[in-house]
Amino acid sequence: MVLHVWAHAGQEAERRVLQAQLERFNQQSDESQLKLTFIPERDYNAQVQAAALAGDLPDLLEFDGPYLYNYIWQQHLIPLEDLLPPALLDDLLPSIVAQGRYAGHLYSVGVYDSGLGLYARQSALQQIGARIPASAGDAWSIDEFNQILGKLAARDSDQAVLDIKLNYTGEWYTYGFSPLLQSAGADLIERRSYRVSDGSINNAAAVSAMQQLQSWIQQGYVDPNLDDAAFAGGRVALSWVGHWEYERYRHAHDTDLLVLPLPDFGQGSRTGQGSWNWGISRASRHPQVAAQFIEFLMRTDEVLAMCDANGAVPGIKSAVQQSTLYGGQGPLALFAAQLTHGVSVPRPKTPAYPVITTEFQNAFQQIRNGGDAQQALNAAAQKIDQDIADNQGYPFIEQ
Amino acid sequence: MKNTQLAWLFVLPALSGLLCFVLFPFVLSLILSFTNLRLGSPLPLEFVGFKQYQRIFTDAAFLAALRNNSLFALIVVPLQTGLALLMALLVNQPLRGMVIFRSVFFMPVVFPLSLVAVVWILVLAPGPQGLLNQLLETVTLGAWQARDFLHDSAWALAAISLTSIWQGVGFQMVILLAALQGIPQALYEAARVDGANQWQQFVFITLPQLRNAIIFVVLVTTILAFRLFDQVQIMTQGGPNHATTTIMYEAVNSAFGSQQVARAAAMTVVFFIVVLLLTLLQRAVGRQQGVN
Repeated sequence: MVLHVWAHAGQEAERRVLQAQLERFNQQSDESQLKLTFIPERDYNAQVQAAALAGDLPDLLEFDGPYLYNYIWQQHLIPLEDLLPPALLDDLLPSIVAQGRYAGHLYSVGVYDSGLGLYARQSALQQIGARIPASAGDAWSIDEFNQILGKLAARDSDQAVLDIKLNYTGEWYTYGFSPLLQSAGADLIERRSYRVSDGSINNAAAVSAMQQLQSWIQQGYVDPNLDDAAFAGGRVALSWVGHWEYERYRHAHDTDLLVLPLPDFGQGSRTGQGSWNWGISRASRHPQVAAQFIEFLMRTDEVLAMCDANGAVPGIKSAVQQSTLYGGQGPLALFAAQLTHGVSVPRPKTPAYPVITTEFQNAFQQIRNGGDAQQALNAAAQKIDQDIADNQGYPFIEQ
Repeated sequence: MKNTQLAWLFVLPALSGLLCFVLFPFVLSLILSFTNLRLGSPLPLEFVGFKQYQRIFTDAAFLAALRNNSLFALIVVPLQTGLALLMALLVNQPLRGMVIFRSVFFMPVVFPLSLVAVVWILVLAPGPQGLLNQLLETVTLGAWQARDFLHDSAWALAAISLTSIWQGVGFQMVILLAALQGIPQALYEAARVDGANQWQQFVFITLPQLRNAIIFVVLVTTILAFRLFDQVQIMTQGGPNHATTTIMYEAVNSAFGSQQVARAAAMTVVFFIVVLLLTLLQRAVGRQQGVN
């Protein structure tokens, strides 16, 4: 029997590891063969949606974080708790379980979770005499952060001292910047019933937080990063990005590299979580074999192999403990700590997520280009609420 | 009788293709625009009358898209046609090496639009290091202040127009060149005998002879101007503040970003009506000035 597996075409190292894992799994079994297809990351969600509509989903596939819930709502996935061993389920990070659970069942498992923070060059910060935060609870306040930006800019020839990956497109903006809203006391949507965005995404706290970000861009502190080498090339001292840049930044700056929490906009430093996760489609005729492959990928040494390749936080507790990057005093221990101590906030667990993220991205683009923040966020709230109303609140119809 | 039957038989393959891939989807689109169809929703489909049309005509983004498409057509069509005519006239000179110029002018047409858009993002890079900024600063002897073209609501549409003209002018040039080479030399000789100078020859012989080709080029460019999508998707994503959003971009975003297929269908119906009206208008204007 042949099973089809779809994965996102991430960094080259990730692809190599997954390919090798698949080949090893195929060698173990005589009867079943897994065939892997890589799909470019930018169009991944569109491709999966198109396949879902055509009834052409593969047996096993990845989902990009909170896009999962829309597919669960469309009834394309099956629960996994009966297909996976209890020992594995116990070993999962709480954030992985929270990500995969919806309407009372576990529909997906992530091999790794994500980390988001502020990379910095220690030498640059020492030059201006800035305090180095020791943990997320110790993060820079927004006033401190503004002062640091000003001091760094005074010493920088082109005034640009911060990289927020403006060259990225798509989901990055929601992942990277909704923690800004949460840190200020706002949110993308209210989390009790997930029905109303008005009042959360466009309240005074949200507007002032986005205006802060707008002021950094308008004062020229932000590098447009067209060549994606602003931090790695040493042009800027700070880079607001996730775990996937760790390897490259470490190669560029070695011991000068610091990993710091995001600044505190008032309610405490907040950061993002959630990443690619595996689910089994309802149309699969061999769910047990697909589940066996998930089990294989979640073995401690396999998880560590993948996380060594992409720098992500391992999805099982045993792997985090053994990891040189994330365990104990490792350089990325901050990311693991943020996930386990509630500093990270999951993106909204609702089938409305595709619309929420599209509208927030649109609002972000307007704000980044100097538009009125209140208007942009109001428009986003209006569109999101209209969509949720159109879909009658996304009622979950049990099959 | 037999000839008519034979004619229908010959036309049948193309006609069925047209029916299958153009007429049928359009009729479906029309029907869907009166429903509330969403992408992949397990909820039942409902007919909602003109609600989608009400929504899109009160949506700031869609109205901006209509305005932008019209503005883009008004800028690009005369500029691109004029430039193409100029280039065709230049390349038509019987000088050595004209083939090289012809190929070079035509080359941008061969590149995929997305590739052109990506390269032009670099050309339009903000700050004094950006190519275009540097060029303008040199040309104006330092008077030019560096701008972020793609993120400035005053300049974004102009930047996209520039990219589009650069990419498309070669195609129009080739069409006009072919028409130009079809003008009989006898007409020019007769004019010279009558004492006409270069300018008079251009206005009274070249332009009238090129009339059909120019009408064709203007029509095609206008329709293509309303189909603007690739550059917007890659370079500005409809921003800043809806300054560059277009009907196609709004429709694709509605269907695949916001999962509102019926809304996107309504937008494409409006698009069809606009293009239809434009085509009829241009044909009417073209006919008024004499027999085709």
